[in-house]
Amino acid sequence: MVKFYSSTDTYPYPFPAVTLAYFLRYPNPYSTHVLSTDTIARHYDPDTQRLTTVRLHLKRSKLPSAVLKLLPKSLLGASASGDTQAYILEKSVVDIKEGWMDTESRNLEWTGVLSVVERQEFRRPVTQAEEELKMWQGMEGAARRHGFINFGSGAKVEDTGETTEVKSTVTLHSHVGERWKQRRAASQAAGDEEQPQKVGFFKSLTTGPLQSSIESIGLKRARRSQPNAKEGMKVVLERMREGGLVAVLEGMRKDRELVLAGGKSLKADGHDVE
Amino acid sequence: MSASLAPECNEVKERYDTCFLKWYSETYLKQKATTDECAPLFKQYEKCLSMALKTRGIDKMISEARDDNRENDAEHMRPKR
Repeated sequence: MVKFYSSTDTYPYPFPAVTLAYFLRYPNPYSTHVLSTDTIARHYDPDTQRLTTVRLHLKRSKLPSAVLKLLPKSLLGASASGDTQAYILEKSVVDIKEGWMDTESRNLEWTGVLSVVERQEFRRPVTQAEEELKMWQGMEGAARRHGFINFGSGAKVEDTGETTEVKSTVTLHSHVGERWKQRRAASQAAGDEEQPQKVGFFKSLTTGPLQSSIESIGLKRARRSQPNAKEGMKVVLERMREGGLVAVLEGMRKDRELVLAGGKSLKADGHDVE
Repeated sequence: MSASLAPECNEVKERYDTCFLKWYSETYLKQKATTDECAPLFKQYEKCLSMALKTRGIDKMISEARDDNRENDAEHMRPKR
């Protein structure tokens, strides 16, 4: 059982600026729950001009009370209040030549209860002229463009009227109870017809509905947090347009103080930001 | 700049991040990159961070997740056109 959320959006900024904003999106006023961001691997391939990055984010998190009610205390262990920190592993690949960036983020812990995988595909729109050129010159020549970001003097994103398309998907998958089911299946396959005595919490439940409930709660949360993620990106892009990299870094410095102060995030819809 | 998970790595992280942002915006995005010029600084940062990840026991969690992802990557991390 898997649940799925998908949306598309267009940023009114050129592709290179959007990729830069992606790397610089934490901290922003909508993300003061993000405590840290570290780059754990980075690889540049000069042949393809692709840049691969793996980052680790630490987020202040709280398990939804609805999930807490569904899960047995034994499974929750120490964080029975639901207060927890969550590590998020993010991988991204940018291809500046072909004009795309693919990203994927996933939670590292609690994956048995709920695994959340968020993917984003950023695309530089292909213009009519490019399409025609492509036919004659092949992809490489047609896809070639300038950086559009000048950090030298003014360090501002030029307003070229260019846009970047983004498709976001969130996949939610709960594995709750699967191990028990697997064990039972294994013992039956081994010719052991006797039902296990200690089925505990899952005795009265088939796991399907439980998994589904947890996935539904996760889905609701993903829907709620998506607008905040977009607002955060927009704040960073606006700062870049107004004052270039310097303004972005200055903004980050202020937002980081908010994080340290444990300040509440701005919210797009009045709900907790996750 | 964002903070590091490990406060003791903040300084070297900041040096690396600054180098990366300059390289990314002035070289990579302009399609002028031949090498990752910040690789030496990354090595220093990585050295500090990997210690921190180990002490916190996160290193195993990460490598497991990355192994799981290899197949996924082949499927999802490719150009769609």
